[in-house]
Amino acid sequence: MKKTLLFLLVAGLIGAAYGYYLWNKPHEDMGAAKAAVTLTAAQLLSEYTADETMANSKYLGQTIAVSGQVKESTNENGQVKIMLDAGDENFGVYCALDSAFQHPRKDFSVGENITLKGKCDGINLDVQMSRCVEQK
Amino acid sequence: MLAAFIPGFSQKLFTRDAKIKFSSDTPMEKIEGLNKSGTCVLDAATGKMEWKVLIKGFLFEKALMQEHFNENYMESSKFPNATFSGTVSNLNEVNFGKDGTYNAKVKGKMTIHGVTKDIELPGTIKVGGDNIELNANFGVACADYGIAIPAVVKDNVAKEIKVMVNALLKPMKS
Repeated sequence: MKKTLLFLLVAGLIGAAYGYYLWNKPHEDMGAAKAAVTLTAAQLLSEYTADETMANSKYLGQTIAVSGQVKESTNENGQVKIMLDAGDENFGVYCALDSAFQHPRKDFSVGENITLKGKCDGINLDVQMSRCVEQK
Repeated sequence: MLAAFIPGFSQKLFTRDAKIKFSSDTPMEKIEGLNKSGTCVLDAATGKMEWKVLIKGFLFEKALMQEHFNENYMESSKFPNATFSGTVSNLNEVNFGKDGTYNAKVKGKMTIHGVTKDIELPGTIKVGGDNIELNANFGVACADYGIAIPAVVKDNVAKEIKVMVNALLKPMKS
């Protein structure tokens, strides 16, 4: 009886601790995250334009590294977004920098070549990436 | 219709930075998600508008909330986006040529979690120079879109989710 009670108490404590850990589990550290694949902005957009379902099965929700030329960079109340040129006049790869990460820099010049690592969210006119960090 | 007669007025307006925010409020917990990269296209001549937002792009305070939102409720791998396609039904009361804030009614089809519903929503259209700002607050019932809330968390997730949308539209380069 005593043993059973003790067991239940310990199991309950472990359960509660695990629940607490899950509840407070931090967001993935994007600085340390490993990119599943590295590709160019043009390649990513063209794969999405050709077959969205296929591209989603490869990239959706994955951490990927995308390289390209900065077409535009904006900063709205600290939220930096960078449009990577994908060789298309209207659309590109639209990347939002991770707000949880200490970025060495938040200023990007139009025309410079950079690589951004982040989560692929799918295509919404542009291919969109969130939680991006610059990869050197 | 007036817009068509104003010289230099671009009729199609666009943004790729629309903000879509939702919250689930219950006495047990408050859950909020925000996506700042929604797209919205408005044709001021006809009042037609198209909205789209990617589900994976919603960010949450807690990692666990984001995980549950994507995997258990929205099934974002299967249904990667939510859309709204509609028309301003009281276009005669909105003057796109004159600065001001107008009350608007928008009627159309909302698709969330792969389920499409006919809806009508109130919102505001704010005309300021060449730009137009759209705002709306509305409720979305999880059950209407086939989003099941498991019994164990039925007190933690609201049956009706509050949604706020905001888009600052700029004339499209043609």
